[in-house]
Amino acid sequence: MIIYIIISIMFLIGIYGMMVKKNIIKIIIGMNIIGYAVNLFFVVLGYRNEGIQPILVPGIDIKEFVEKAVNPLPQALVLTSIVIDLSTICFLAALSIRIYEKYGTFDLEKIRRLKG
Amino acid sequence: MNLIIFPVILYLFSAFFIALALKENEKLSGIACFSFSILSFISVILIGKYLILNERIIYFVGGWKIPIGITLMVDNLSFIFLFILNLLLPLICWFSFSYMEKYLKAGYFYILFSLISAGLNGILISMDFFNIYVFLEISSIASYILVSFGLRIEELEASLKYTILGVIGSAFILIGIGLILGKTGTLNIADFTFIAKNIEKKQLWFILGLFIAGFGFKCALFPFHFWLPDAHSLAPSPVSAILSGIFIKITGFYLLIRIVSNIFIMFPESKVILIGLGLVSMIYGAIMAIEQNDIKRIYAYSSISQMGYCVLSLGIGGYWGYLGAILHFIFHSLSKSLLFLNSGIIEYKYGTTKIEKLNNLVEEMPYISTTGFIGMLSLAGVPPFGCFWSKIIIIIGAIMSHYYGISFICVIVSIITLGYFLKLQRNIFYSKSEGVKTGENNEFNLNLLMPVIILSIFIFLSGIIFSPYYKIWIDKAVKNIESFSYESLMEK
Amino acid sequence: MNKGMSEIVKTICRIVSPFILIFGISIVIYGHLTPGGGFPGGVVIASAFVINLLAYGREKVLLKLSLNKSDILHDIGAILFLLVALTGFIEGIFFLNIFDKGKLFSLWSGGNLIFSNIAIGLKVGTSLFLGITLLSMARIFYKKDKIEYFEKEEDIK
Repeated sequence: MIIYIIISIMFLIGIYGMMVKKNIIKIIIGMNIIGYAVNLFFVVLGYRNEGIQPILVPGIDIKEFVEKAVNPLPQALVLTSIVIDLSTICFLAALSIRIYEKYGTFDLEKIRRLKG
Repeated sequence: MNLIIFPVILYLFSAFFIALALKENEKLSGIACFSFSILSFISVILIGKYLILNERIIYFVGGWKIPIGITLMVDNLSFIFLFILNLLLPLICWFSFSYMEKYLKAGYFYILFSLISAGLNGILISMDFFNIYVFLEISSIASYILVSFGLRIEELEASLKYTILGVIGSAFILIGIGLILGKTGTLNIADFTFIAKNIEKKQLWFILGLFIAGFGFKCALFPFHFWLPDAHSLAPSPVSAILSGIFIKITGFYLLIRIVSNIFIMFPESKVILIGLGLVSMIYGAIMAIEQNDIKRIYAYSSISQMGYCVLSLGIGGYWGYLGAILHFIFHSLSKSLLFLNSGIIEYKYGTTKIEKLNNLVEEMPYISTTGFIGMLSLAGVPPFGCFWSKIIIIIGAIMSHYYGISFICVIVSIITLGYFLKLQRNIFYSKSEGVKTGENNEFNLNLLMPVIILSIFIFLSGIIFSPYYKIWIDKAVKNIESFSYESLMEK
Repeated sequence: MNKGMSEIVKTICRIVSPFILIFGISIVIYGHLTPGGGFPGGVVIASAFVINLLAYGREKVLLKLSLNKSDILHDIGAILFLLVALTGFIEGIFFLNIFDKGKLFSLWSGGNLIFSNIAIGLKVGTSLFLGITLLSMARIFYKKDKIEYFEKEEDIK
């Protein structure tokens, strides 16, 4: 139960970082933290009390394995999600390099040239 | 029935093939991309012929049956979206042969174009929550990059704003999918509707709210619309046509139809939310569009307003509500793509899209002014053209469900739409003052003109002759939304 | 300019990086028996090159694995994955596993899993290396009458 509270606090810190802070690098770090929180949530979903790892080794009892093993499906989904978040952050890092070369600053207040 | 995966595989193969061999040569990469999109259109037509006889097509990837494996499904509702998507993509690819000559490294444009098409096709055929999320992310990341393709100052800022808000929307969707996995233990849509009958309605409210917020980010409903005016007006013109014509509809509107009407059936609170948000975004888009100074910004605000129409009609529900929403989607996506390609030709020739600098263009560009006129009349709801039918059906649907005030506001917003489009038409094409005109008449660039003319003829005819197709496709699609039961798919 | 880091860091990185590469390859190939597979194995393979990039500087690393080669390799990885998925068409369904599944727990027991793992490991590894190297070398080309376009970093597809 405590782990879900920690995950929601981490998600809210990430959203605070993305919406309130004015430096582009801090926005990127906030995006990272959101990614960590959501992936951790997925992995914790599949946990069973006193579970063993879901790897089949020769010489293990099948019935006991099925009853005790941790669910491996969310772990496979997390792999895909990590790579998707990685590529978004890679793109934003390149974009912020280009913005720095044009504007000379990382401050979001000075980048607002468009109105409406 | 192996044809169902051909759109996705063809576009993915085109992206990898152009990246391997043809990046340097821009002409050849454009021709390769165009030929793959024509092949994909042909395969969609063949899927359609198969769908007339059967009710839906189901495909088990890898041979694994329902609770274990990934399934793909095309039914009548997805087929309408597939057809419009694969009809518009070859035309936009043809348009960008000449338009992309002004940009360096146009080979990368065709790679990203193929990736965004593969992602959009994949969303329409998948029947699994996580599969939808993966294809949604593929097309979203490609669109973030495409918006900033020209690397001027304004485009970079618009792409930054779009990326930040898009990532937050995707995070909401992913948390909703995680909660579904936790509550029911399965990610398949058919399995979920089967298990969710035994769960109390109250426990699914939070998930429904997360989904409406997440997909609301993608289709620019009212509190989540802040990225749309900058991103759609500053992107290169074929990219604006894809984004505003198809992308916000498939990633926002189609997934809202699936989630709200098909999966979480009959939550009356969701109706109220959708009607409210649709109404506010309709009025907001129309009011903010009156005083803009740039052609593409007016079109972008009008996109917000018309998406408000679609979501409002979806919220009203019933047979007429769903019918109005789907018809308005079809006609609006055709008209808006035509208008954005039109403004692309103006930008290609004159280099600017501000109203105060463009005057009296009808002397030099007769074709563009005529097709622009057809597009604007169609969007504003003038009788023989397309959107008139859809707006009338939306108003009838509102009256039949006793929402008299809402139908009155619909009529007023439609009149305001007609107002600003006529102002735009008069100022650009027919006013009599001097502006930025060159003396030459080199309008006959065939690559730029032919897609526009084809689209305008299509819009002109579709308003008149769509009634035979109504019985075959659209009627079945609306019945699909109303009473769809996934139970027949469970082969346990 | 690119003098690199101190002597201790350079020596250790030079000694350790082949072992990291072999470890990454073993994660990829045994993906159907032990945890791992295409994605994590690819990240470890990329980090074997990135360690040398951080310690020695850009020019020395580009002598070992140039940008053109990694560009071609990561496209070949993507096309290989599509071809592995299309072999299922021989028996009728997309992505069907048609190879012979041998003994349990041996290396050749997954069917077409091992080929897709190798394809994805190759692609992810070279894409990450390409991305990090290009991020560290942004350069500007101007052209007079065309819209400016910089040498942009290639996103991971």
